Amino acid sequence: MKRVTQHFDLLLLGATVLLVLYGIIMIYSATYLSGEGGQSLWDTFFARQIIYALAGLGLMFLATIIDYRYLENLYRPLYILTILSLLLIRVIGRTSFGAQRWLGFGRFQPSELAKLFIIIILAKYLSDRGPSIKRFPQLLISLIYVAIPMVLIYLQPDLGTALILGIIWVVMVLMAGARLRHLAILALLGVLGTPLIWLSLEDYMRERIIIFFNPQHDPLGRGYNINQARIAVGSGGWWGQGFGSGSQNQLHFLRVRPTDYIFSVLGEELGFVGVLILLLLLGIVLFRILRAADLAGDDFGKLIACGVATVIAFQAFVNIGMNIGLIPAAGTSLPFMSYGGSGLITLLLAEGLVQSILVRHRKLEFQ
Amino acid sequence: MEKRKPDAKITVFRVIILLLFSLLALQTWRLQIAQGEESRERANRNRFRLVSIPPPRGVIYDRQGRLLVRNVPSFTISVVPADLPPDREEEVIQRLASLLEMPVESRLDNVPSSLSQSPHLLGLERWFGAGIRDLIEEGRKTPFVPVILAHDVPREVAFLIEEAHLDLPGVVVQIEAQREYIGGSLLSHIIGYVGPIPEEEAESYSDYEPNDLVGLTGVELTFEEELRGKKGRKHVEVDVAGREVRTVGTATDPQPGSNLILTIDLDLQKEATEALQEGMTAAGSQSGVVVAMDPQTGEILALVSLPSYDNNLFIGGISPEDYQALKEDPHRPLVDHALMGQYPPGSTFKIIGAAAGLEEEVINRYTLINDPGVIWLPNKYAPDDPTLAQPFRCWLETGHGPLNVVQAIAYSCDVFFYKLSGGYQDFAGLGLPTLAYYARLFGLGSPTGIHLPGESEGLIPSEDWKRLTYGEAWVTGDTYNMAIGQGYILTTPLQMLNATAAVANGGTLYRPQIVREVRDAEGNIVRPFHKEVIRQLPLAPENLALVREGMRAAVARGTGWRANLPGVAVAGKTGSAEYPGPRDREGKLPTHAWFLAYAPAENPEIALVVFIEGGGEGSVTAAPVAARILADYFDLPLVPSAP
Repeated sequence: MKRVTQHFDLLLLGATVLLVLYGIIMIYSATYLSGEGGQSLWDTFFARQIIYALAGLGLMFLATIIDYRYLENLYRPLYILTILSLLLIRVIGRTSFGAQRWLGFGRFQPSELAKLFIIIILAKYLSDRGPSIKRFPQLLISLIYVAIPMVLIYLQPDLGTALILGIIWVVMVLMAGARLRHLAILALLGVLGTPLIWLSLEDYMRERIIIFFNPQHDPLGRGYNINQARIAVGSGGWWGQGFGSGSQNQLHFLRVRPTDYIFSVLGEELGFVGVLILLLLLGIVLFRILRAADLAGDDFGKLIACGVATVIAFQAFVNIGMNIGLIPAAGTSLPFMSYGGSGLITLLLAEGLVQSILVRHRKLEFQ
Repeated sequence: MEKRKPDAKITVFRVIILLLFSLLALQTWRLQIAQGEESRERANRNRFRLVSIPPPRGVIYDRQGRLLVRNVPSFTISVVPADLPPDREEEVIQRLASLLEMPVESRLDNVPSSLSQSPHLLGLERWFGAGIRDLIEEGRKTPFVPVILAHDVPREVAFLIEEAHLDLPGVVVQIEAQREYIGGSLLSHIIGYVGPIPEEEAESYSDYEPNDLVGLTGVELTFEEELRGKKGRKHVEVDVAGREVRTVGTATDPQPGSNLILTIDLDLQKEATEALQEGMTAAGSQSGVVVAMDPQTGEILALVSLPSYDNNLFIGGISPEDYQALKEDPHRPLVDHALMGQYPPGSTFKIIGAAAGLEEEVINRYTLINDPGVIWLPNKYAPDDPTLAQPFRCWLETGHGPLNVVQAIAYSCDVFFYKLSGGYQDFAGLGLPTLAYYARLFGLGSPTGIHLPGESEGLIPSEDWKRLTYGEAWVTGDTYNMAIGQGYILTTPLQMLNATAAVANGGTLYRPQIVREVRDAEGNIVRPFHKEVIRQLPLAPENLALVREGMRAAVARGTGWRANLPGVAVAGKTGSAEYPGPRDREGKLPTHAWFLAYAPAENPEIALVVFIEGGGEGSVTAAPVAARILADYFDLPLVPSAP
């Protein structure tokens, strides 16, 4: 146990807890203060988020204690579990916001956990293959591993998460030493295939992309959310309208406030300063995870840490970018801040893995 | 394993993260600091709206101060199209449809073509089974103005909708003042009703808002400016559903509309309605008119046109079924026959012929004209062939013998007026131009100018008119017909009443008035009553006095005896005007029954016209109606005395 506490990253934990608290406070403003109280206190968004956070922190500590290297032997069942749960959701999943993303029993979203599992599986695959990833066929095989769950998630349809899996793959194979040239060739093939992809896109996805490029085109239709988010963030100024006083938030001009647009609530009520604090905390978390990657005792651990950092960085960028009109609406949540059990618990669990990698990074030297 | 050296790729990763986050910070700075002012303004535009405060519409009283129209609170359900989220629109529409029991799609197709082709009657087509979806689509032109879906929604439904406001974004429940027509069908033709602005007249209502209700007929229409008041303005903060969260400030207070005091006497109106209904029933008629007027001022004391309709039906939108029924009723309850109906005046027109003959000195009070029962008008082209001559008969086949003008009026002698108007043998009559001149002098052939919409002109024919209309020359027979109010001449009951009033008051033709005073909400008189004179008739007083003497004699011992009342001297003139229709067993055309009256004869305070469509003899069916109304007015027992 001493070994566990010696290298445990308190700064990472601290920044994470602050982010989660920051999120809960903003959810409180976005829902409870704006008149969306539940039947009882426990029925409110922020109370449930507290419970998810506590559960996530518990799992995080559990993951810290358990040696991450056990996972190396579990990658096959993990992969099968991932594919099965994604298939299962196609059959019996609940539909929400037009997409089958939930699985019964506590409304769990398998695609969230799939991100973490894919990180572990890729890490195992890539660390096993070592430098052979520099060969193009090897790279293609690793792509096939990721492509199967990607397609399943894309069909849900959930473009955002499918994209995240793709990014995870790109970053992790690069970290494992894949040649940029090979990826460039694949990217070129992808560009050539764009017309095909465009044709295969669901209408809502095309609409999102079109509206992104011209949000004024339809102020009361699909572009509404993006427009209102920009207005909300924009009216924040340096210090914000004040906690619980953002008119865009409190008068419900913003929609899906506690999840996709929690950043806009923050931006409107706490201003540029509040946004900088968020970026700072996210930056600390990311840099500490990358530090763990640097320190990791083996390639497996290093790749896991890189994968986790990728998820957090990418989701943060896409979500904030969407809130401020940099990126089309993609339906990704803001890591640690957005309301939602599956996402939060998965992230905290992933961080537990990173801590597990950290606390064991010197083990070999003492053996 | 060796201690690993730091991986350069991870450093690149760090740099990329820093770059991405800098990009986020930069864009946020751009939005919040560089363009912050614009965003704040847009946020304010979202939340603050300048909305109007409707003023209470003026109410309406009768001349005794009895309330006839008032405003009662009612719930209105509207939708602000801008606040209706597109992804939930369908759900909201469906829920509203079931809560309000309204169709989703317009049912205009279901409305019979007869209605959809003439929907303009008072611009009600917007209310005819308009579907929720269509109303909302139409409202998208001005997306922040609430579209009213339903007026006068039951309280329970309004509360249900208010409670479910989170599930019904964009739906607004408002309390607004609604008209209540206390008199209902008793006063519909006078008061009219309000409704949405008729589409084809939208331009003339430029300073109105789309949801405003305006007067569509009756004094609600003609006194719209006085009644409507002035809107106030207030700034409110609204949430995304368009619900007012709070009032930020009042820019201007609303000014209530002015109240109207009608010239109508509610008691007399009731009595006239009942008397007319009774008279119509007795005559087997479905339609009739009574108008009573103060002949000294032109004030209308009662104005009844039957059948009537309940103007309360129009509140909050009339149902297509009700409207169709009213529209297709052959007796046209929506039409005010007192001023829109045009009928031959029959013998009532003789008072004008008499006045003209005296004034033109064709006759004087002593002139006797012989009535042999029938006169023969020689054929124009064969004046010497008696077999081609055309007979003109008096209603009394035996003839009245020689009589003077007073007797001629009293007994309504037709031959007297044939000869007086058209001449006979070596007796030179008035001739058409002079007769028409006097008819116009008495106000016939042009609207009286009463402040009610839709008044008809009537028709006073001329030689040119006949040539242009029928391509035939005017002949003496036409003048004979016109002398007894037949042929081409058409008048409205109101015109005949107005002419009677001018005779009664000694020669002043007043403009009939329906509104006595306009008062503001505090009761101060905004517009006092004053008489409006159309013209002073250029007739010698003694000539009009002779006509009055004839009219008094008609009631005292002539054809109008059924209107003779003990206690007050009634003067009058009967009329039975033939109109094209099925002939009776004796081969006679059906007739409208007329009766003109005023009383007391020596100092008239009330003048009256009774008209019963297809009512037969005026002396038999119309005069008793007048008798009953006058008895009520003078508070007398109703005992008609035979001559």
